[in-house]
Amino acid sequence: MLDKILYNTVLCQTFSPCGKYLVAGNIYGQLAVFDIDRILNPVVELLSADYNKAKYIHTIGSENQICSLAGTEKFLIIGSVNEICGWNWKTVLSMKLGKPSWRINISPQSILESVDVNSLWLSDDNEKLYAGCGDNNVYVCNLEDGQKICTYSGHTDYIHSVHGKNEQIVSAGEDGCVMLWDIRTSKYHNKLEPHRNTKVSRPDLGIWVGSAALSNDWIVCGGGPRLALWHIRSLDAATVFDIPDHGIHVSFFHDDCIIAGWCSVARAYLKCRLEHVTAGRARSTGAGWINSTSSNLI
Amino acid sequence: MGKEDTSKKRRKLVSSSSISEGIKQSPADVYKRVVEFEENESQLRPAEKDANLFRKICQEIRQLFADIAELKSKDTDEAQEKINAKRVEASLHIVSLKKLNRLEKVRTRAGRDALHKEKQRVDSTHLLLQNLLYEADHLNKEVTKCLQFKSKDEEIELVSVEEFYRDAPKEVSRPEVTKTNEHQLQLARLEWELRQRRELAGSCNELIASKERVAAAIAAARSRLDALSPHLRDVLKATKPLQECLALRLDEKRDEARTASLLPTPLFLLYANSSAYSDALGANIVTVAISGDEDEARRIDQNNIADSELIVSNDSDSDQENHDEDRREKKKRHHRTSKVSKEEKAEAKKREVFKKHPLHVQLSVKVNDTSLNLSFSYLLHLKIVVVTLTVTLSKPVIGVSAADVLNENCILNELYPADTGNDSPHPATAYLMKSAGITEGFHYFISEVGRPYIWAQRMCGLDFMATVLDDSKSNKIIQPCPTLSVTTVENFIFTLRKRLKSRVELMKELQDLESGKITPVVDTEWPTRISGSLTQWQSISWPEFRQSPSTSFVISDGLVTQNDMLYRAIITRQSAKLVALVALKSDYPKETPIFSLTLHWNGTHHAGINDDIRDIERVINTDFGSEQVKKPTLSMQMTKLLTYLDVLLETTGSSEFPPDKVMLSPVRGRNRVKPYKFLKQGTGVFVQF
Repeated sequence: MLDKILYNTVLCQTFSPCGKYLVAGNIYGQLAVFDIDRILNPVVELLSADYNKAKYIHTIGSENQICSLAGTEKFLIIGSVNEICGWNWKTVLSMKLGKPSWRINISPQSILESVDVNSLWLSDDNEKLYAGCGDNNVYVCNLEDGQKICTYSGHTDYIHSVHGKNEQIVSAGEDGCVMLWDIRTSKYHNKLEPHRNTKVSRPDLGIWVGSAALSNDWIVCGGGPRLALWHIRSLDAATVFDIPDHGIHVSFFHDDCIIAGWCSVARAYLKCRLEHVTAGRARSTGAGWINSTSSNLI
Repeated sequence: MGKEDTSKKRRKLVSSSSISEGIKQSPADVYKRVVEFEENESQLRPAEKDANLFRKICQEIRQLFADIAELKSKDTDEAQEKINAKRVEASLHIVSLKKLNRLEKVRTRAGRDALHKEKQRVDSTHLLLQNLLYEADHLNKEVTKCLQFKSKDEEIELVSVEEFYRDAPKEVSRPEVTKTNEHQLQLARLEWELRQRRELAGSCNELIASKERVAAAIAAARSRLDALSPHLRDVLKATKPLQECLALRLDEKRDEARTASLLPTPLFLLYANSSAYSDALGANIVTVAISGDEDEARRIDQNNIADSELIVSNDSDSDQENHDEDRREKKKRHHRTSKVSKEEKAEAKKREVFKKHPLHVQLSVKVNDTSLNLSFSYLLHLKIVVVTLTVTLSKPVIGVSAADVLNENCILNELYPADTGNDSPHPATAYLMKSAGITEGFHYFISEVGRPYIWAQRMCGLDFMATVLDDSKSNKIIQPCPTLSVTTVENFIFTLRKRLKSRVELMKELQDLESGKITPVVDTEWPTRISGSLTQWQSISWPEFRQSPSTSFVISDGLVTQNDMLYRAIITRQSAKLVALVALKSDYPKETPIFSLTLHWNGTHHAGINDDIRDIERVINTDFGSEQVKKPTLSMQMTKLLTYLDVLLETTGSSEFPPDKVMLSPVRGRNRVKPYKFLKQGTGVFVQF
């Protein structure tokens, strides 16, 4: 039997509040902590063979995959299966992981099923946590007491990603819908179905939308359908990016760029020119993961 | 005064003449006496006085002549008279001059005689001196000759002086004399030496005599023993019917033991240990035999005994010979002799390097009906053991790839990790081959010679690793170590039987696979309904394996190497075609097979570009998602692969593949994994984790 780490897949990653560390989670429930400074600015004299390897590798108690990560000032929030846990950054950045500081359980409807917390998004004031889950719902939790405030239901299949901006939340699901929610009413007020747009749809890859993100006026989303830039109010596909991918898994705005990731490759696209220019690999992909290909995410 | 002298003389003359006249002797006598007298006179008178006298007389005569001349000029009688007187006087003077002259003559003669006499005396004295010098020289030479003379006694080694005084009796050593006289000391020491030597010679003779006596005794005993052997042979002959009757193999064993003694040490160790193992565990598992030319072996054995004392020097000699030969060859090249003979010579040399000992040990290991015959030979010059293998199968194997598994080369490949047997484990081999002018590596000759596996060396008690580690004594000759052989033989037979067993099983599996049949998994934990089918199974070469883009990952990580057995399986279901490249390690089933997949359906997909294929490879190649402790077999993995292909195709939602498997959700998670884990619940359900 080969070592399973040869077939490792990194599902999510986030930066520590100090910006010095990158934390990545994989399907085997392992959490790798990379020292960015050591990797990007290696001291030549101290260069060893494993300088670009993880500094620490923690294993989360249950061997469930780590589906999503988010970070507050104080806590690293891990979305796993059936639960969301918060770990103090101090323990994460030390040799031994210890126990989680808090835990929010998300119980599945039947024993056979289990709920993946596929996406986590923190509101800008760091008070509310939005979790897009495998049971087709987006849960909103208060970080003060860990209580679920409300549930956004409307998707008919599991949710791939959650993102928000300006009192709006966008969620993308396996059912092929991208939904826009109003924070105040907890209802969706708009629904986008990229696979119905002939310019965007790719039937052989499926209808699923792997990722969606908001800016002031735009939504970027992609998955089975092509990566495209949609106008929020008109819900029209303004730009369709023709990329030879096998399904988009990650897309988000960064300054003037759109960064998108898919199987094996991650590339950044400049939006302002409205044409795709390969700008090399995004900064955060610089970190390799335990001698394997970090295949899925940026 | 002169006047007086002359007058005196005259008187004397007168008196003497008067004496002589008076005696009147015989004239001869008189003459003699006169002569004698004259001589005496001349002796007695000093020559200077005579000279003065002579001058004076001459003066007087001149004076007289002058007077005469003067008188003559006067020419008077008186003058005449005076002239007469003067004439007389002058005549007298002339007489005395005459006398003086005579005296002078005598004196001169006497002086001459004396000179002559003196000369003669000097000559004779000189002659005497010469004689004496010559004699002295001769004597000197004789003396040096004597001094240079070496006496015999100097060559004799004597005991030291202290020892001599300590050991020798007083009457020989005589310290009172010898302490002061060195010559006597030497004599005494020589005498003592002589005495001692005589004693020793005596004892030597005695010993020789006793030795001869003992030799005679031994000869007598030997002849008695020789006489015994025909009797023993008779006895042996007599027991033969009994042996046959009781089915004892005593004779054969004895023969074999005799042959075994001719084996080189490493092979003998192998033979002894493996035959012991065979005796202990029964001949149906392992049998050992010796084959080869016994007479030739005996000859080599005898040569070895003769040479054994001079191994080291011999080696260097042979080196020298090689050198010489080289040189000769070079010379020949200069002379441009025929090229063919040179090549033949090189060929002969090569053959000499790879010369095997004429005896081989045959080890055959049996599992069920398949038996492996290993032939171990010892290379005399390279000092390593090589193995050739033949496989005997109970029934012929159907199928190409299945037959390969039991192939001679393949079955022993990496029996122990990294032991491919491609190169000699002996560090000296390369040098030996180079010195013999062989430029090719050892692996070039493997087909003719056999493979020098490390386990074969260890079974024969040769451990080259130890010498490599023990650098300080790297020059020592590698000696077979019996304990190493004992432990290795058992381990090897065990490992080989295990390998053989697994290979026979693998062969059956491969036979089935090649005919498109997948042995159903006995394990009930797996669904039996499979929609795809195996349409092709064949072995492929390394370049073919390497060409496929799906294998770049396993090759670059060194998970699959050229030494592995490589196969291609093609699985089809409707329009989908899955090509699986399978790498089987020599250690199978200890190491599970490694699959590299390529799916041809809606384009070409492999793990590098498609996550679904990568997921399938993950669940097949790693133990992720399976709780089984047991290592999966090839056919079990093939079954799984077919099932996973079904799952993958059915989750695409294409109408070509109607859902047949029960699954909770077709995809899950952001990476959209398909359900590859089978849960035995109800009819069985597929889940992701």
